[in-house]
Amino acid sequence: MQVEYPKPDWTEKFLLLDLFEGLKTTLRELFKPKVTIQYPEERMEPTERFRGMFRFSFDRCIGCKLCAVACPIDIIYIDVHDETQMVDGKPKKLKVLDRYDIDVKRCMFCALCEEACPTKPKSIWLTTKTYELASYDRNDLYFNMQQLEYWEDRPKYTGLPEENAKPQIEAGKPAPAGARLIPGSAE
Amino acid sequence: MFDVHEMEVNFGPQHPSTHGVLRVILKIDGERIIEAKPVIGYLHRGTEKLFENMAYPQCVPHTDRLDYVASATNNLGYVEAVEKLLGITKQIPKRAQLIRVMLSELQRLSSHLLWLATHALDLGAMTPFFYTFREREEILDLFEAYCGARLTLNCMRIGGMPDDLPDGWLDDLEEFTAKFDPAIDEYAALLNTNRIWKRRTVGIGVISPEEAIDWGITGPPLRGSGVEWDLRRAQPYECYPELQFDIPIGKNGDTYDRYLVRMEEMRQANRILKQCIPMIKETPAGDIKAKISRVIRPPEGEVYHSIEAPKGELGYYIISDGKTQNAYRCRVRPPSFINLQALPAMAKGYLVSDLVALIGTLDVVLGEVDR
Amino acid sequence: MNPWMLFFIWPVIKFLIAITIVLTIVAAMTWVERRTLGFMQARLGPNRVGPAGLFQIIADPIKLMLKEDILPASAEKVAYFLGPMIPLLPAFVVFCLIPYGPPPAFAVTRVNVGLLLIMALTSTAVYGIILGGWASNNKYSLMGGLRSAAQMVSYEVPFGLSVVGVLMLCGSFDLVKIVQYQERHVWNLLPQLVGAFIFFVSMNAESNRVPFDLPEAESELVAGYHTEYSGMKFAFFMLAEYASMLVNSCLMATLYLGGWTFSIAGYGLTTAALSKLGLLGGLIGAAIFFAKVMALMLVYVWFRATFPRFRFDQLMDLGWKWMIPLALGNIFVTGILVLAMPNLKIDAGIYPYGELLMAVVGAAIIALTLFLVTRGPRRPAAAARPTEPPKVIHASRVSEA
Repeated sequence: MQVEYPKPDWTEKFLLLDLFEGLKTTLRELFKPKVTIQYPEERMEPTERFRGMFRFSFDRCIGCKLCAVACPIDIIYIDVHDETQMVDGKPKKLKVLDRYDIDVKRCMFCALCEEACPTKPKSIWLTTKTYELASYDRNDLYFNMQQLEYWEDRPKYTGLPEENAKPQIEAGKPAPAGARLIPGSAE
Repeated sequence: MFDVHEMEVNFGPQHPSTHGVLRVILKIDGERIIEAKPVIGYLHRGTEKLFENMAYPQCVPHTDRLDYVASATNNLGYVEAVEKLLGITKQIPKRAQLIRVMLSELQRLSSHLLWLATHALDLGAMTPFFYTFREREEILDLFEAYCGARLTLNCMRIGGMPDDLPDGWLDDLEEFTAKFDPAIDEYAALLNTNRIWKRRTVGIGVISPEEAIDWGITGPPLRGSGVEWDLRRAQPYECYPELQFDIPIGKNGDTYDRYLVRMEEMRQANRILKQCIPMIKETPAGDIKAKISRVIRPPEGEVYHSIEAPKGELGYYIISDGKTQNAYRCRVRPPSFINLQALPAMAKGYLVSDLVALIGTLDVVLGEVDR
Repeated sequence: MNPWMLFFIWPVIKFLIAITIVLTIVAAMTWVERRTLGFMQARLGPNRVGPAGLFQIIADPIKLMLKEDILPASAEKVAYFLGPMIPLLPAFVVFCLIPYGPPPAFAVTRVNVGLLLIMALTSTAVYGIILGGWASNNKYSLMGGLRSAAQMVSYEVPFGLSVVGVLMLCGSFDLVKIVQYQERHVWNLLPQLVGAFIFFVSMNAESNRVPFDLPEAESELVAGYHTEYSGMKFAFFMLAEYASMLVNSCLMATLYLGGWTFSIAGYGLTTAALSKLGLLGGLIGAAIFFAKVMALMLVYVWFRATFPRFRFDQLMDLGWKWMIPLALGNIFVTGILVLAMPNLKIDAGIYPYGELLMAVVGAAIIALTLFLVTRGPRRPAAAARPTEPPKVIHASRVSEA
């Protein structure tokens, strides 16, 4: 398909109509509503699937290291040891986490770790709607297990009601109604 | 005392209009370019080498960083190449194919909008930048709703797609496609007939079709020269054969023709999107992944697969040794790198101002050139 | 009155007031421009500092003053320092010659060759830009400086020629008399439509504004002649640019838009009507004048929001091959009409052939322009273009080709 060439006739050429066309467009825009989001006061609501800051659940994690294997840049560091615990009155061999660190400053938020996680719901997930991760100290962005689970001091999306901003899913309990839908979870 | 010598100017790597870190060593006589020599490699990250040490699925987020303004098509080319290597191209469900097509057409729109923005800004027209970014934001919103990221999407997986479409996504897309055609008309009103724009682009950087083919130029620069070559038509992949679209071609092979071709391509991409919406509603929800094993270990062999990225033919050449989960070698054929080689010949004899137009019209992304 | 008072103290006071006005408008203009530009581009523009971002006017200079003043190691020091000062001076001096209200109170001085003096002074601004560009010892700056020199010299010619038509109609170089002519007849914009067009284009080129902002084309020459400047020196260049915009707008308002009056054929807010009101009348006159000036300044912004930039040779083309012949044609036609109808000259009262004059002038110049336009723009790289359109090769036949 041959593209069409605009062919202005002599009146258009002479009366500078092509230039006025552009001037008309910008003048029309002058009175249209603006699209700017005034950042610190107004914030974009991230979508449900938005890949933001990590959150980790110690209770759900089974220490399988699949997330560390899936990570393309190897920034998840996991150490586990075996322990025998009593579950339902029977002794059971379990893996217990010693270390679960993520070097978030190197992370590219591809969410392959979340996808690899076999637990339901996921024990590591990025759909926390938190995106203001900047820090003055690069060491602040190295997160250990506790920090990954409880980072309430991290700046988070402030447009949400307070109860939604916090993780609501207690270990072992089904998610209450209205909780975040984690992609790939039981729902 | 009277000897005349030309001035040598370093155009880049830090320059507002070299679109990243392109460096062009210019020999100029007054403002006329005698010789332009592109120097590349300032953004080299060894992506191809990284692919050799990484399992196949792990490479997908790295392909995002090649042409970082069109990551969905990078993903698409890579996962299709691996699927071809695995021999599962036919098993990809229809719904996954349609989602792939929709994402790559949206990506084409977003990439072309960015091209128009920077190209116009380079030629001094400031306003199209903001108008195009307004629409581009909406495309990025759609991406974010689908896969959670706005720029480096990592939105495709070997054997299918990571997720089904979220609720309401198709409605948002429909709304967007409805208002995108008037938006293109708005950009066109600012530039299409504008005599200053035409003076800056008509007859600048002419590539004849023979030269374009000899250089291996692909994408809109090739079509601008009048060669009707589009991999979506020529080597169809996914469900493009079922979709109706035209391949716009130019006549003169100058900057203005390439501009018109890209503008028309945006309209056509929008047309494809409009066709996809009813088609995807007919497919069963959730059928987005072929049944393949989690561990991807292709048989021994090699494959070259290329797709029509927004900037031209994006090809992946993968060799598998059949033993490991890593590619033995992965070579990327980036369109920008091949297209950029026409720059010295195109720039010769034109003015410094035209060099800016030429870099803009070739639409190079340095992440892809240097890899 | 005491001659000291009349010839020294009073002018100095008026000069200071004029400078204050210039600086205020220039500072306000940076805000107005960025805000309007933002609104035209679907965004808001600066709105963080103070109400609606108004304190941006103060915040910008403070920031620039606090910035480090960088002196490139191999710069030519004296010229580097002089560069930003030179363009600023004529802009301020010229403003003293412009009557921005009914005489005698609302002008610093009244010079009977005012227009000539203004043209002479404004053209000295280019020295600063050349000096600054050359002294920075940067290739981009040098190119910017040279572009600016060529551009300003080229556009000085149509700029001057376009005014000749006004002079022939009004019969005086005195800006006050030109305004008084217009209030008795009609705004010069109408009989001198082509002249006004040329003047407007040239004044855009003179103050290096879009679409003629080649000396500082940021996508080509980084920042042109002020690439190496920072802090207050950079601010001076910006100030000079805006002051030159202001002066040109004032000149256009005076020459073509009736200055401080708002009247046609002696009816409306004429000088006489304003004088009856005393100081209030003067202030109304000044308000009318500055309203016209601001409207013109907004047109600058509007252009900046809309147009791409010319290429250098196309700019020269436009100046030498279009504007100058057009201006000469305008002089020729206006001359014939003024000679043929001597009673149209100044002080002839309300002329009976006014409409005729305008129509004839307009028609003649339309014909002339039409002749020029239909020749079409010359393709600059004609040699590089293929002589015949290349044949379309279809995908199936690529291998054959």
